[in-house]
Amino acid sequence: MSRIFRHPHRVGPLLILLVSLVLQSNAHAHLTVEGAGEVGSGALHPLMTPVHVLILLGLGLMLGQRVPLDLKTPLQVLAPASAIALLATTTGKIGGVYPPILIGIAMGIAILVALELKIRAVVCRLICGVAAIGIGLDSGLETGTAVVVLKTLAGTWISMNIVTYYTAICASHAVGKPWAKTGIRVIGSWIIAISLLVLAFSLRK
Amino acid sequence: MTSPRNRIAWLMPCILLVFVLPSTADAHSVTGSVGGFLTGFKHPLTGLDHIVAMLAVGLWGAFLGGRAMWTLPVVFPVVMAFGGAMGVLGIPLPGVEIGIALSGIVLGAVVALAAKPPLWVAAVIVGIFAIFHGHAHGTELPEAANAMTFAIGFVVSTGLLHLSGIAFGLLVRWPWGRIAVRAGGVAISLVGFAFLFKFL
Repeated sequence: MSRIFRHPHRVGPLLILLVSLVLQSNAHAHLTVEGAGEVGSGALHPLMTPVHVLILLGLGLMLGQRVPLDLKTPLQVLAPASAIALLATTTGKIGGVYPPILIGIAMGIAILVALELKIRAVVCRLICGVAAIGIGLDSGLETGTAVVVLKTLAGTWISMNIVTYYTAICASHAVGKPWAKTGIRVIGSWIIAISLLVLAFSLRK
Repeated sequence: MTSPRNRIAWLMPCILLVFVLPSTADAHSVTGSVGGFLTGFKHPLTGLDHIVAMLAVGLWGAFLGGRAMWTLPVVFPVVMAFGGAMGVLGIPLPGVEIGIALSGIVLGAVVALAAKPPLWVAAVIVGIFAIFHGHAHGTELPEAANAMTFAIGFVVSTGLLHLSGIAFGLLVRWPWGRIAVRAGGVAISLVGFAFLFKFL
């Protein structure tokens, strides 16, 4: 795995994979993926929900822009907050998050990425917490036995954290490479634009 | 550095995987998320007036060099999305078609004349025209499209047009490339004039 990180050009194939996952036609929030098993279904869930991908991508890029790369700080918040939020969905009282809120989170993070703002650790923790809670609460499973639900949510939790850290580590390779830093900021601006359009769509409806 | 052969070895499985994935197997019914993405992706590519303006933004950014190379392509999609949101919400904007035609003329002309204004001036010019382009796209957006994947396709397509412009603009490093880029500016400007006077 470390070989991939030593060679940033190998990130390209991973981006292709990420885009292919975004393009999935069965991107419904609570759908299980047949044949993937409970953990696999859960793991694929954040990757098949476009707004979750945007948030995780933005979060990873934002963390990767910080110099020096510090994954311990977000880990202290992202991992427990996402776990708590995912477990909270099992109470059955939470039926998802209002979509414009998730879009707003994606846009807020993307603005920080596009502007490449230097943010304090406490703000970083706050953003990680908000993103984790937003995605977590939006990833609940409506049906299934307790074991199935817990396995699926465990998959989602693993996937959320891995995607964020993987993106952060890839993005951290941009340090010292102006063209790569520019690319990250451009992706940030794209996420802002996408979020703006989707917000307008949701307001029209 | 890894050899080109190794790079291909890395890329090929991933490209194959894209084709194997079930969503791409919906060959005869492009609906849902994929349909939304494809509709959005094709939208900026359906009008020559839009295409030349997007290319001109990248071209001008590369021509100006330095920070401008990324500032203009960052400003354009964000402001264009703002204009798109206005269009989606039905907020009227007068003279949209004229604004789009003028964008081709002006952006083509600045490239042709090798104009190098301060960065903020370039960003304002690009931003103003982006609103017209965004509004035109916003009002034409199909009701049934999947909003999120449509927006992703739309923005990615626009961004790739900018990148194409930047790639072309990087030719300015060579004397013959500089002539080619400025000639490209002239061509873009002519397309703008053609749209303004309804020749196209």
